[in-house]
Amino acid sequence: MTADIEIRNVSKHFGTMTVLDDLSLSIKAREFIVFLGPSGCGKSTLLRMIAGLETVDSGEIAINNERIDHLPPGKRGIAMVFQSYALYPHMSVRDNMAFGLENIGMSREVIDARIGEAARILEMARLLERKPGQLSGGQRQRVAIGRAIVKEPKAFLFDEPLSNLDAALRTRTRIELAQLHQRLQSTMIFVTHDQVEAMTLADRIVVMNDRKIEQIGSPMEIYERPATKFVAGFVGAPAMNFVEATLDRSGRNATASFADGVSVQTEIASSQLADGKHTFGIRSEDVRVVAAGQGNADGVVDVLERLGERTLVYARLGDGQQIVGSDAGNSRVAVGHKVGLAFDGQKSHLFSETGRAWHAREA
Amino acid sequence: MRAPAISIKGRAFGDRVLLALVILLSIVMLAPVLWVIGLSLKENAELMANPNSVFQAPYTLKNYINTIGTSSVFIWVFNSIIVSGGLTLGTLILSSLAGYGFARLNFPGRNILFVVVLFGLAVPEQAVLVARHQIFSLLNFHNTYHGLILPGLSASFGVFLMTQYFKAIPKELDEAAMLDNASRFRIFWKVLLPLTVPAQATLGIFTFLGAWNDYLWPLISATKKDMYTLTVGMASTQTNFAQSEGIGFLMAQAVFAGAPILIVYLFFQKYIVTAVSGAAVR
Repeated sequence: MTADIEIRNVSKHFGTMTVLDDLSLSIKAREFIVFLGPSGCGKSTLLRMIAGLETVDSGEIAINNERIDHLPPGKRGIAMVFQSYALYPHMSVRDNMAFGLENIGMSREVIDARIGEAARILEMARLLERKPGQLSGGQRQRVAIGRAIVKEPKAFLFDEPLSNLDAALRTRTRIELAQLHQRLQSTMIFVTHDQVEAMTLADRIVVMNDRKIEQIGSPMEIYERPATKFVAGFVGAPAMNFVEATLDRSGRNATASFADGVSVQTEIASSQLADGKHTFGIRSEDVRVVAAGQGNADGVVDVLERLGERTLVYARLGDGQQIVGSDAGNSRVAVGHKVGLAFDGQKSHLFSETGRAWHAREA
Repeated sequence: MRAPAISIKGRAFGDRVLLALVILLSIVMLAPVLWVIGLSLKENAELMANPNSVFQAPYTLKNYINTIGTSSVFIWVFNSIIVSGGLTLGTLILSSLAGYGFARLNFPGRNILFVVVLFGLAVPEQAVLVARHQIFSLLNFHNTYHGLILPGLSASFGVFLMTQYFKAIPKELDEAAMLDNASRFRIFWKVLLPLTVPAQATLGIFTFLGAWNDYLWPLISATKKDMYTLTVGMASTQTNFAQSEGIGFLMAQAVFAGAPILIVYLFFQKYIVTAVSGAAVR
């Protein structure tokens, strides 16, 4: 079972506060979609509205062209995995998984068969008679997913399900979730504020901020061609470098100049750019660390972060702005050294005052 | 290295003092019980002549035989079990339902109503006694079991306790159950209520013991001997000043009277300790 989910002009208010403002979104069947955004952006509220745990103030939600926003949660054919797992503490794992099926009057044989299958998929057959209190965080997470699987829902909803796990387990569970999606081929909606989870799991990411959708796109679209300055800054670690710039639009492509006279020839068409102040943006991996005097700008190294395969170099320009560049894993650069920074014009971005982004022409 | 040695020594001394205090308090607590048992095993005439004969043989079971043969104590114990049991069951049901309602349902006037319930905690029984007596007289509720049970069902403490307990249960459990297609009653019955067992035990124990030991309302409402509860019945058998006659017989009745509550203590010891220490009420 799978589902096309259509969200049309949905708004939500809590008292006088608007949480979601006229939001529309189409989710395709079998798609793994991730709602990504900072705390308070409305992503969890949107998920809960799809689940039926929050009412829809205006607009509508449909699954497979059937309006569901007036239906109670249990009648929508969806399953949800909560951040806190929300397992029933007094019931065994088996009873936790059976509860939803018993409520719809399913026969014992079918319930047992489904639990057996879910336990096999999630490799938790030996846990079935235990209570949630006797399980580790990772095991509880599996049970919560198992409880969702046995319902054979049209869509799975995940509300920050990995947040309570330690780093190693989070990575493992992330991979298992991706495998589960491939196996079940169900529509999955996953809410997170962790961009790594979003980038690794999603077919498409919906980046949300301040009650609105900022951008919908594949992980690489979001990363390489962010629609707004917010998206550019929110996705990617370390965050994209931003520098205030003035533009020279006399040529075919714009040239960005920084306060201390540094200039970068971009590959962004001058014709599409408007007047006014702009911000130049570039990711750390697109700023090469070279010998002083050899790049677009020189800077003094403030901090080094050695990540193994590469070294992040935090260099301060003459006007005091900090730029993060990238060097080899075994970089010989040291704190206090003067280095050159070479900007890749092809990979640079420009942002207007309203936050709108322009990128180099697509190859 | 000296400091820990002194500390251990100090702790051992403290432990000994504590142990001595516990023994002393145990003697204080147990002495009346042993005294009652001792008196119940003595001839009434012998006790009348010399009250200190409780420490000297011979002992007899005559008072117990007389109690079984002639006393109404078993009727009173039965009445107390019905009243205390009924009151406990009723309080648990009503307090759980009300607590769930206050904690989980949105309805107009909920907060005001909850404040009214809290006010109930501040109103002493004596303040409503006369009015209640008159109403129960009009309704012919006196000398009935429901007449003894009904007043105790308005348990403000129980509603407050259960409300707080339900509030402490994460709402995600309700939501998970809603997604599991459970009705509101099924969520209450199958998901939330089992999680309130510690609070139910606390409330049940307090209610049962309170009802078992209650004297004032049964004294007013139960005027017929066969409707007496144990407290009223026992008091009615004290015929003369200082009970110089038939004290052995009275104490044998007291032993029978104390047996059910002792059994309750034995079975629910763990919960009683938790309830009294307040650990169940977070």
